[in-house]
Amino acid sequence: METFWKTIAEYNSQTWGYQLILILTGIFLTISLLREPKRWNVMAMKIFFIVLYLWIAIVYFYICCAERSYNIVMSIFWVVLSVAWLWDLITGYTTFEYNKKHVKLAALLIIMPLLYPVASLYRGLSFPVTTTPVMPCSVVVFTIGILLLFSRKVNLFIVLLLCHWSLIGLSKTFFFNIPEDYMLAFASVPAIYLFFKEYYFRHVNKESKPNIKYLKWLLILLCIAICLILMGTMFVELLVDK
Amino acid sequence: MDRQSQEKLSEVGEFISEYSSHMIGCGVHTSRVIRSAKRIADTFGYVVNINVYQKTIILTVLNPISHEHYSEVKDIPNLPISFEHNSRLSALSWETYDKHLDLSTLRERYKQIISAPSVHSFFVLILVGIANASFCQLFGGDALSMGIVFSATITGLFLKQQMTAAGINHYIVFIVSAFVASLCASTALIFDTTSEIALATSVLYLVPGVPLINGVIDVVEGYVLTGFARLVKASLLIVCIATGLSFTLLLVKDNLL
Repeated sequence: METFWKTIAEYNSQTWGYQLILILTGIFLTISLLREPKRWNVMAMKIFFIVLYLWIAIVYFYICCAERSYNIVMSIFWVVLSVAWLWDLITGYTTFEYNKKHVKLAALLIIMPLLYPVASLYRGLSFPVTTTPVMPCSVVVFTIGILLLFSRKVNLFIVLLLCHWSLIGLSKTFFFNIPEDYMLAFASVPAIYLFFKEYYFRHVNKESKPNIKYLKWLLILLCIAICLILMGTMFVELLVDK
Repeated sequence: MDRQSQEKLSEVGEFISEYSSHMIGCGVHTSRVIRSAKRIADTFGYVVNINVYQKTIILTVLNPISHEHYSEVKDIPNLPISFEHNSRLSALSWETYDKHLDLSTLRERYKQIISAPSVHSFFVLILVGIANASFCQLFGGDALSMGIVFSATITGLFLKQQMTAAGINHYIVFIVSAFVASLCASTALIFDTTSEIALATSVLYLVPGVPLINGVIDVVEGYVLTGFARLVKASLLIVCIATGLSFTLLLVKDNLL
């Protein structure tokens, strides 16, 4: 765990300037997309995600987290994610069309990366030993928020990879004592439900086996199961802390 | 003789070729296809001989009285494995035989079976995820590994479904799916868990069980050529799984040692 926070401190102290540029770019592109999605800002957002994910893969995991024994695996995982965005950029799959249905949740998720450092400071940590918005988990939350806000047509493969990362985040809260990642885990559950519902159950009248209503219940059960595991993990951690 | 006059040889032949190729395509072993086809032909008073190859079937339907015959070479369609089609189409041949169904009724029933809604892809995704997580537990994996395998399987299988729908080469689909699923499972390495079991079981959903079993059944029942063709195809798919898994293992080998 010491190595974990040490690498985070090194990353923050060496790259805070670049992180600030990435945060400002993200804010600018989000506002631009909110005003009106045009070809240039849709492409720019995808390029931003490619760059951001490569940043996490190379700068965060490969260079700054070189001390961690598993850094290459994580680095490749993020390279795969950026390749998925590259494919999306080439094919134009994700359209970033504004979806009014989930505005509140999406807004919360988009703002949440900015709450990561606040949560760290609240826990008594001080910079550079804090979580920041340009770290894997906060980037995942931000991406889920953006995809939810513009969820007319979403690349579910990216969502699944992000949800897999959330699952790891959930385990990390327990193994590495990073309670900030509960925000990621909690954010993922409704996102999983909404993304799957939008993707698979858009055409309710279509005949399917089993019936769509049972499949929706299955999805709800799955989300409840994840919530129960999440609550169980929190409960165990609280007991350990006491 | 009455039934022969009712149903034209060519029409019966066309139906049997379509029926047989569909059965082969959805993963039925050769002897069952031939038995079912012969049963239908027998109902109409004809005799059928079928040669099954990997990509095509060749059949000849013969009228034993007039010695007229009808021959057709039919491509085997690329269909998903379906145990439901397997059993229902086989049952249809028995129904035809027992109830002496006429050709139009037979065609109607056949269309009903093949156009029935297939199992929803989301349902498949969840069930396969649970099955693979269960495999992980069977091989000694703990709860965390099971969760990671579940998530990794869903991600890999979703990619496989999408790539297959996009018409990408089968072997490439297997390599990429195995790589992605095992890469996702390799994230278990960061925890104090049974990561090697998670890694090994994450690709089990890709194992081509049906072609392997059908291959063995075909060889045992004397259809050696078809059996070996199926076994070779299954072996190539296994090599693809191993290739995808190897990419991940090459990346994480230092962490496993």
